[in-house]
Amino acid sequence: MALPLGGVVVNALMISALYALVAIGFTLIFGVGGVLNLAHGASITIGAFAAYYVSSVFGLGIWAGALAALVVPALFSAAMYLGMIQYVEDNPITVMILTLVTFIAVEEVVKIVAGTQAVAIQSLLTGQVAIGNGLEANRLLVFALSWVLIGLLFAVVNYTRTGKAILATSMSSKGAALVGIESDRMYLYTWILAGAFAGIAGLFLASLQTANWSMGRTPLVLSFSIVVLGGIGSIRGSVVGAYIIGFLETLTTSYVDSSLTGLASLVVLVLILLVKPEGLFGREFTE
Amino acid sequence: MSTSETIRDLLDPRELPLRHRLGVVALGILALAPLWSRLLYAGGQDLLLLRTLTAALFLGMFAMSWDAVSGYTGQISFGHAVFFGVGGYSSALLNLGYGIPPGFAIVGGTVFAGLAGLVIGVPSLRLEGPYLSLVTLVAPIILLRVFVFRSDVFGGELGLPSPDPLVPTSGFEQATIVFFYVAFFTFLVILGVLLAVTRSDTGSVFTAIREDEDAVSAAGLNPAKFKIFAFLLSATTGGLAGAVFVHTIGKPTPSELLVTTVSIEVIIAAVLGGMGTIVGAAVGGIFLSLFRSYLSDVTATIPIVGIPIGHLDLLLFAVGTLLLLFYLPGGMVRWAVVAGKRRLADRKPAATDGGQTPIRQVAATWRRSIARLRGADDE
Repeated sequence: MALPLGGVVVNALMISALYALVAIGFTLIFGVGGVLNLAHGASITIGAFAAYYVSSVFGLGIWAGALAALVVPALFSAAMYLGMIQYVEDNPITVMILTLVTFIAVEEVVKIVAGTQAVAIQSLLTGQVAIGNGLEANRLLVFALSWVLIGLLFAVVNYTRTGKAILATSMSSKGAALVGIESDRMYLYTWILAGAFAGIAGLFLASLQTANWSMGRTPLVLSFSIVVLGGIGSIRGSVVGAYIIGFLETLTTSYVDSSLTGLASLVVLVLILLVKPEGLFGREFTE
Repeated sequence: MSTSETIRDLLDPRELPLRHRLGVVALGILALAPLWSRLLYAGGQDLLLLRTLTAALFLGMFAMSWDAVSGYTGQISFGHAVFFGVGGYSSALLNLGYGIPPGFAIVGGTVFAGLAGLVIGVPSLRLEGPYLSLVTLVAPIILLRVFVFRSDVFGGELGLPSPDPLVPTSGFEQATIVFFYVAFFTFLVILGVLLAVTRSDTGSVFTAIREDEDAVSAAGLNPAKFKIFAFLLSATTGGLAGAVFVHTIGKPTPSELLVTTVSIEVIIAAVLGGMGTIVGAAVGGIFLSLFRSYLSDVTATIPIVGIPIGHLDLLLFAVGTLLLLFYLPGGMVRWAVVAGKRRLADRKPAATDGGQTPIRQVAATWRRSIARLRGADDE
């Protein structure tokens, strides 16, 4: 397969930004709340389908759809935390099982409501941009928006009072409690943020490819590798990890074999866990 | 149980506590299933019931094999399907590719599954809590990717054709009854082996590892050895079940042996039945499998939306599981035993596990390791 390298690299650059969006949410919940949210993939699917229903079925336009892709998964995530996780969050195994089962349930609901056929979502922008051999404006916008969101999150976490409180909780919930931070509220915030990020990533993913009921699985599995590679709980680590994994994925599927989806990154995951379990930027929060 | 009991005392039905007697009676009823299913149903329905029961026995075996390592030593595996898959696939491949008779192929599959147990078990010495679960979660996914990549050998997403049946049979009726007894016999073997190991001193060490690994080391026992043994035991029993499965009612396909849903179903079964009891896992597996097949057979439709309930089986199953896990975290068997004891005002021995359910104990270990991973200074 002789694909032009330029195209492959551009592809990898863009898809990696999406993976970063997904992985950041996953890592936030683990870093702050100490639980693995396996229903994170469900937020991706919910985001994509919320956008699809608002934009195509109700005909409100794609920008209203984008708003829905932010809000609906955020609400879903918040509801999951408030209705279920907060009662069992001291038991990580139950959390893992419950979130995984929730994921299965959401997939089933989507399958029943929207069917098993993939649906297309209209592009955010149409036309081409004259960079290199010409690039779809939509893809460029998705890429830019992803980075804007990542930058915003960085700014919020590092420079606002609430963001700093979230960081503090991730370092030590007891210490945070001593200075008057309500850790439950911080957990809720991270769940909401994670849901919104995964939801918008779902919309982007659907607008680059298509949306279907099982679309959340691959990004979720890739997030494991990304988050572990970057160091669990580290935002910077998940952005770097997303780019490493994104490139690895795109290169192997483009040049080696397209049926290898996910294999390379999973092997990386196992290797990292065995050799350097704290990842590249592990324990960043405490330093 | 005092230590002076001899084997004969243990097996004497008059000496058995009530719950053991109930267990023996239940096994007896199960053994006679071909008889009473014929009395209850007629015209092929009884055979379908037997098929469902056979499938349920296999889920029970899978759940028991999970319980042996995860329920007892607290090394939570989220990808036990890898062992069922390795057992089933290698047995099928040995039979299909090399013409080895099923009986020997099953032995080969079991050995391969045991090797897989070592491959997963050795990293478990280095990894703790959630990290180990993550590795085990991705293990069957990696295996599936390899199978898809080498579809020419492993049949990819569609799986392999059925290998030869373990026992040659003629006709559906005979096959159903024979396969039921093959499954029942395998079930008894696995139940017996796992009960024997977990009720022995080794089992106590397993439980001790779940509660506090450092304490085990401090007592001069090597936790690594016991953890590896637990993985080996679990993988071989799971692999045996997987291998027998493909030579009876199952097929060596990813959807029946390898997908994440299989691993999760097994965990749910064991946790619902009662983690760290073996018997609970078996009961949970059988119950869950019957429950799911019952749900998929319901033909009624939900009034407003007009969707047949049978189409929702996986959804209802998921929701049901969520509720049960939420309200009955200790599992059904443990709950029944405790409730039964309370009702009968049985003698109450001191709780050797500190009165905590296994899942709580593992959770405590996980909290510590997560805190370490996050570098938090809470604990």
